[in-house]
Amino acid sequence: MLAFLAIWEAACAAGLVDPIFLPPPSAVLQKGMAMGGDGSLLGHVLASARRVMMGFLAATAVAIPLGIVLGTSRYARAAFDPLLSFLRPLPSMSWIPLSLLWFGITETQKYSIVFMGTFAPALVYVIEATRNVDPLLIRAAQNLGASRWQVMREVILPGSLPQILSGMKVILGLAWTCVISAELVAAREGLGFLIMNGKEFFQTEVVVLGMVLISITVLVTDFVFRLIENRILRWQQ
Amino acid sequence: MNASMISIQGVSKQFGTFQALQHVDLEVAQGAFVVLLGASGCGKSTLLNLITGFDRPTAGRIIVNSREVTGVDPHCGMVFQQYALFPWMTVLENVGFGLKVKGMSRGQRNEIAQRFIEMVGLKGFEDKFPNALSGGMKQRVSIARVLANDPDVILLDEPFAALDAMTRQVLQDELLRIYEQSRKTIVFITHSIDEALLLSTRMLIMSARPGRIVTDIRNDLPMPRNAEVQLSARYNELKSQIWETVQSEVMRSLEATSR
Repeated sequence: MLAFLAIWEAACAAGLVDPIFLPPPSAVLQKGMAMGGDGSLLGHVLASARRVMMGFLAATAVAIPLGIVLGTSRYARAAFDPLLSFLRPLPSMSWIPLSLLWFGITETQKYSIVFMGTFAPALVYVIEATRNVDPLLIRAAQNLGASRWQVMREVILPGSLPQILSGMKVILGLAWTCVISAELVAAREGLGFLIMNGKEFFQTEVVVLGMVLISITVLVTDFVFRLIENRILRWQQ
Repeated sequence: MNASMISIQGVSKQFGTFQALQHVDLEVAQGAFVVLLGASGCGKSTLLNLITGFDRPTAGRIIVNSREVTGVDPHCGMVFQQYALFPWMTVLENVGFGLKVKGMSRGQRNEIAQRFIEMVGLKGFEDKFPNALSGGMKQRVSIARVLANDPDVILLDEPFAALDAMTRQVLQDELLRIYEQSRKTIVFITHSIDEALLLSTRMLIMSARPGRIVTDIRNDLPMPRNAEVQLSARYNELKSQIWETVQSEVMRSLEATSR
């Protein structure tokens, strides 16, 4: 990693690369320090992170209970399958025009993009996860007197949770893709906006800075998510 | 005391064209320890699944404690060979599960669960997850879980088959002790003649294709019992008597399979 940065820096210093196309790491770092100092950087990171969390939480809050019902009931599944098959192939980008018409350039519009981009894949993950719950455990629960609803809440939900959580990790990455694309198209703040704005003013170091920050933020959220996951799945160790 | 706890009346079960059980009639007295003995594939588990209500008979009916079985119901507690413990629950939570779904408060159910955990000798393991337990300990938790639910009948489907010989012996002795204390009606499946003789008050030998009960033997070995009963003369007498029947049944079903 360090060697890579050193070669990059050296290439820029030797004049092999025009800084308009690719600024040296030192310039990116300098820009980062400056923007970090006046607080604007944190503002962009938080704006994007908030959008990701809102959209992601809304999508999972609907997808987990719905997925468990669809995963356990053949009839509900048959009723919902056509709609799901229609929604699934739509990339989040394709929702941008409609969402702009419906909500304008607002926060709700960003949340809706993240929601639409992550909901269908999240639902598919949850349905798949419920199918891998050991049927013997469901029998045991019924035998001990659990009702249909209790079986869902007490057995199918916790039993599929490990797989749901590992799916959610992928979905969280997807949520970031959604929010960046939404911000690239129309936004006043956020990391996607930062990149786009940098490009408009030929501030390549801002563009690269934005990219670096996206990468770091995703890594940090992934790490936090893993901590939460380990805590919830304590019984697996 | 001798009222019928389980009444199986003309029960048949067919899976497609396969006749798993054919016209089984059986009365099990309250407080009996019945062992169903037979080679694999003779329909023992099918019969158990009908009693618990996991499956419905093709013909006939099953009555447990004066109520006809129409669906899965906690009146028949089942102990599975593969333990079927909830891996995300501690021992205490597993044992208290049946009480929880009944709506009992946490304090009350923990108290009851605690009592049965101690009964199966797992005091000190309340907060462990099943992953941390050996096979024998898991099966004890599973037995405690069923006992805590206070069912009319306890059904055990080859519960000790996956355990090593020594652990099995210990658990057999424990089950006998629990049976003597609780006086529950027990139906136990095994393919081990020794296990059947050691535990039962009555032994039913099943044959395959179609599955039915061919021999009904009262086990008059004195209670309370422990592993030492295996050294008595009466034990060996019963054993050879059963062996003859089982042997001819096994040979018959092997011939039927190879045909």
